[in-house]
Amino acid sequence: MMSLFEICQWLQNTEFGTSLRESIWMFPIVESTHVLGLSISVGTLLWMDLRLTGKFMKNQPISKVSNSVLPWTLVGFTIMTITGVLLFWCQAIKAYNSIFFKIKIALLFLAAVNAIAYHTTIYRRMDEWDKASPPPLQARFAGWFSIALWIGIIVAGRNMAYSF
Amino acid sequence: MQLLFPFFKWCDGTWVGETIRGSKYAFPVIEAIHLLGLTVLLGVMVIIGLRLFGFILKHESTRDLATDLRPYTWTSIVVMLVTGFLLFASEALKCYDSSSFRFKMACLILALIFQVTIYHKATTSIDVDKRPGFARLTAILALVLWFGVGLGGRAIGFL
Repeated sequence: MMSLFEICQWLQNTEFGTSLRESIWMFPIVESTHVLGLSISVGTLLWMDLRLTGKFMKNQPISKVSNSVLPWTLVGFTIMTITGVLLFWCQAIKAYNSIFFKIKIALLFLAAVNAIAYHTTIYRRMDEWDKASPPPLQARFAGWFSIALWIGIIVAGRNMAYSF
Repeated sequence: MQLLFPFFKWCDGTWVGETIRGSKYAFPVIEAIHLLGLTVLLGVMVIIGLRLFGFILKHESTRDLATDLRPYTWTSIVVMLVTGFLLFASEALKCYDSSSFRFKMACLILALIFQVTIYHKATTSIDVDKRPGFARLTAILALVLWFGVGLGGRAIGFL
């Protein structure tokens, strides 16, 4: 049974991991795509979250904002996941040793829990509160919590580049 | 460009630049805020861009959506310019030699001019949604220019 560290070591030393890490163009391209992908993933999710908090587009039913914005958010997350996995693949040891990477993964996990909790409970009863102003407490909480988590994820991700 | 060299040198030597360079945490903190500003600004551009294309939020006019978003647009632009200048001041001489930085500044100037002229006209006009050609061209140009700024910025660290 390999330890987590050994798995990271193996991953980073695969032929693919090594060539991506040492490439002149591929690594910057993947990294830039990951950064600019923020606009499509978090940049679109933010408006959904702000609508949930009741601070933005109050006169629009939540269902319409949700149906418009979330498909694009998912496109953004697909881009982020693919490029994120590639970045991890080629520098797994650095990630393993980085406290910011661990924080980032923990916050990503919480963001997933938050999204699942929202979509399996109050989201299903949206008919009852679609046009309510302000939205119910649980919806507002999901919105604020999501915004806070994503700020944390972005800050932690950026800070992986530094070691304090 | 050589004409501007004294300006870069002066920025590099200001107390702002020296303080940020001398601090362990200042640069990462400012950089993180810069990145959050990028998320909001490019996020706004993507949302309005998708609306100009007629892909999302079709029940609301581009004008109404853009009006709702304008405070976020300009707040994030100001945050980007302020944090951007601080980051620049801390490594102005490095930026002077960086072709990525020059590319970024060219895109930034064009993006800002575009933002207050054609883009402003498109997002405040009543009938932009009836002129899909104009709306889409505006969206494409805005996205290309602002993503150009982002790409140039990221490239400063690589090239």
